[in-house]
Amino acid sequence: MSSCGNPATETDALMKRRPKFDKTRDCVKCKENTGNIVIRHAVYCKACFTPMISFKFRRGLEPFVNDEPQGSRRKGLKASGNLLVGLSGGVGSTVLLDLIHQSYFATRTDVTGGKDHPRNEAIWPKGRICYVEICNAFPDMRDRTEEVRSAASKYDSLEFLPLRLEDAFDESWWISVGGKPNSENLSVDFSDEDLLISNISNDSSRDIHPIPRLRSFLSTLPTQTAISRTVPTLVRLLLLYTARTTGSSHLVLGTSLTSLSISLISSISQGAGYVVREEAQEEWQGNGLAKPIRIIRPLRDIGMKECAAWAWWHGLKIVRKERIPGGTQDIAVLTKEFIVGLEKDYPSTVSTIARTCGKLAPKQGSVRACILCERPVQDGIEDWKSKTSLRTLSGTKEASMQSPSYPQHLTPHLCYACHTTLTSRSSRGALHTGSSRVSLPVWVNSGLAKPTRHEVSPILEEVDSEKTLGSEVWQLRTLKEEDMKQAISGFLLETD
Amino acid sequence: MSLTVKVEFGGGLELLFNNQRVHSVTLPSTTPSSTTTTPTAEPTLSNLISHLATTLLTDRPELFIEKDSVRPGILVLVNDTDWELEGEGAYQIKDGDEVVFISTLHGG
Repeated sequence: MSSCGNPATETDALMKRRPKFDKTRDCVKCKENTGNIVIRHAVYCKACFTPMISFKFRRGLEPFVNDEPQGSRRKGLKASGNLLVGLSGGVGSTVLLDLIHQSYFATRTDVTGGKDHPRNEAIWPKGRICYVEICNAFPDMRDRTEEVRSAASKYDSLEFLPLRLEDAFDESWWISVGGKPNSENLSVDFSDEDLLISNISNDSSRDIHPIPRLRSFLSTLPTQTAISRTVPTLVRLLLLYTARTTGSSHLVLGTSLTSLSISLISSISQGAGYVVREEAQEEWQGNGLAKPIRIIRPLRDIGMKECAAWAWWHGLKIVRKERIPGGTQDIAVLTKEFIVGLEKDYPSTVSTIARTCGKLAPKQGSVRACILCERPVQDGIEDWKSKTSLRTLSGTKEASMQSPSYPQHLTPHLCYACHTTLTSRSSRGALHTGSSRVSLPVWVNSGLAKPTRHEVSPILEEVDSEKTLGSEVWQLRTLKEEDMKQAISGFLLETD
Repeated sequence: MSLTVKVEFGGGLELLFNNQRVHSVTLPSTTPSSTTTTPTAEPTLSNLISHLATTLLTDRPELFIEKDSVRPGILVLVNDTDWELEGEGAYQIKDGDEVVFISTLHGG
């Protein structure tokens, strides 16, 4: 059997690096023009690049516009509600906004049959742009709202809706989007593994303003990675509740192929593997919605390089993002550096990440949504975590793990990723040294006031206890192995 | 003899160059070469990148340059063409060329 050879002594043993582009420098589409850009080893001229990107964008969006899949007989596109475009000012969302506007909201000059002809009917009755400003979350961060508003002003057929990250802790905002406030102000203790909840309504020292609440919440998170994960979660929920209020059936985000690959690897490494499909596309069944809101990322097949080229060649204004302070070694930043480096040398592998993750599906269904990120929760996750990790040296409280201690603890209401985010300790020690008790986002506070939404079984604080709820009597008691076997004896196969 | 190159920065990179998007850069028409057979050579894109990093860069060089090239995530266009089609850093600059550096790192 031949060996691979030693590159140090045999120059032929070293595999030659694949050329940046295949075959010739001519465009692979028209085969006439000299190419202007290389995309995953394929060469495109400027004239063919634009329709190619437009096609990929439409392919990533239009199959999900109608309520029902189109099937073999292609019908006209008609959404059941309005459209909300999430704009961050970055490359992806700016390109997305440009494509959305030119495809569906720009004044058309090629209409036939008259403007009232059904084929010329607007897909979405109304479109809006929503931007979430995060500057108040961290000191000395630049407020980009007016810059983003200016960049979006050229799309005057779309209404601009600015939000602020602290709205997530603002009761007045919650009421304005149709949320039902909780009469009790609840706080969570991050130093407690089970995330002890307490009522701070009567605490005169509690923060009542949204900005201090937001800053306190973020600064008390145990790791920098947790901060980098929590900010996008809060932004996503703010956009979703705004979509609900504006009667939107679709929320579109400018996540490119590169950004998607980064978020997939980053989220899986932080315990969000169960919702890997939701990173690309999801449906949000918010309270009071007749139909779920679809979150679509139409640029998920378009790399960051292509987005940047589109933005440059179409003269789009990109508003520079502010970096989250302190985030140089968190998982999201390290993953981004790795993926961006990978894209430079091996661009096809980045699309492989997204395509492979797109084939993944969880084995089990979900029984409820996480109260923080509102994504599906894997069934039985509390039991699994209690068996796989050493959580306390004192006697385990099996009863409290099996029946959620509402409203004493937040843990039973969270998904694995959010629980890990809020409790995972850094090897470098805690980021925060002050009080670990912080206010909760308004939808979490509201969700805890509704036991039917997240509770699985009634409150039973102790084993061998009994409680009456309505006309039912609930009892929690430990069973011996013989008792459990007796209970299912009718289903057991006979063994010799 | 010297070459004049128009250099533009986009995607936020201009912040590293005194917040100025467009620069007119003058390079000598020949640069010292390490080979003895060709003691001088026309400047390349690599030479331009080094020149920008040493003369015009005002902040955080690690966000623009890595080793002898631009940091991954920066798209380089030479006369409206991807530099990967022109030989990347080995492309020999001509008088009047337009070089654009665009950062793609500012996400979605």
